[in-house]
Amino acid sequence: MSNTSGQATAFMALTPIRPGSEGSLRSYLEALPQAGSPLARLAGTHFARWVIVRDWVNDPAQPREDHLESPYLIFTSNFDGPLDPYLDELCMKLAPEAREIWGRCVGCPPDATGPQLKAYLLHNKIDTGFFVAAYPHATVAQVKAALDARERLISFAVMAQAMPAADLQSAFLAEF
Amino acid sequence: MSEPAAPPGPVTATGTDPANVDGQAIAITVFSTVKWIGRLWLPLVFWFATTFPRASGTLARLSFIHFARWTMVRHIPYNGAPQRQEKLNYPHLYFESNFNGGWEEYIDAFSHILTRGMKVFWGTSYGFPQPLPTGPFKTYIKRNEIVASHFYGAYPEATTTMILSSLELAPKLEEFKSRARNMSAEAFAEQWPQFLAEVQDCL
Repeated sequence: MSNTSGQATAFMALTPIRPGSEGSLRSYLEALPQAGSPLARLAGTHFARWVIVRDWVNDPAQPREDHLESPYLIFTSNFDGPLDPYLDELCMKLAPEAREIWGRCVGCPPDATGPQLKAYLLHNKIDTGFFVAAYPHATVAQVKAALDARERLISFAVMAQAMPAADLQSAFLAEF
Repeated sequence: MSEPAAPPGPVTATGTDPANVDGQAIAITVFSTVKWIGRLWLPLVFWFATTFPRASGTLARLSFIHFARWTMVRHIPYNGAPQRQEKLNYPHLYFESNFNGGWEEYIDAFSHILTRGMKVFWGTSYGFPQPLPTGPFKTYIKRNEIVASHFYGAYPEATTTMILSSLELAPKLEEFKSRARNMSAEAFAEQWPQFLAEVQDCL
């Protein structure tokens, strides 16, 4: 079991969708904007997703088929730091959406916020077997800052080609 | 045989459903049914891969993966009625990846570069074909893949290579900045091209 890679943590919750709620939950999730996703409010989130599982995919080679009793909602996130503060933040900052999302799942507390929602998500947590990250020690803030600096350096290098040598240093220090 | 877990949507130029795409980033989510031997084998694989990360270093050669995970679902938590308690006949292997590029290229690279690793992770799943040739394997993944209902990336326009280059560049730029503050303008003009040459692989 390995929920961490460097400073990054993997989280997965598998929650049963209330009978008759799959369609409305799917519509709600699919209508969430990507630019301006509510998950952007959780600054430490690198990547996250909601997925609805209707049933297992059975293979003809299986001696017996396996079927789910109901559809399930999967939430996974790849984020910075330990799980506890991340879930605290999620249960506070995602409260409006959480009511619409986990509120359609069996066992979710009526308010779908705060410590009750956190306890619900922890109850339905599935531990990760193997988690791998390309840049396990970099936070979202560090990644964004590094990308920004690289972009600015590329732009500056192009601009510097037409700049008098005497002005280079002051322009560089002003930019960086 | 049951139907795929979600109906496939329209395929974009990236080779996957638009719902799996955020900028350059692509989500892949796959479940496969695990044979009884996998109950013993996969925990060993996970332990080995986690304890000896260098042994699984071939994953690093797939320079377009941001984050990936494998999880064996052996039981489903019970939350009371109206949920019906699940009794799984088999464990189910969950795989997710967050990567950039195209779906086809991703599976091709997995098959060609991680040939042995794929057998290690999926060899105990029912219906898993050999990684090569890639055709049957792509069919298998497509059949077992679930489209995301919402996928989010914090830096959707950045590829893994861009991020690794930027992170390598950052301390070099900081070091050059602190040196630059104490140089004459003439010395800076001389050292600037040298700095650019040093970091050109990061740009």
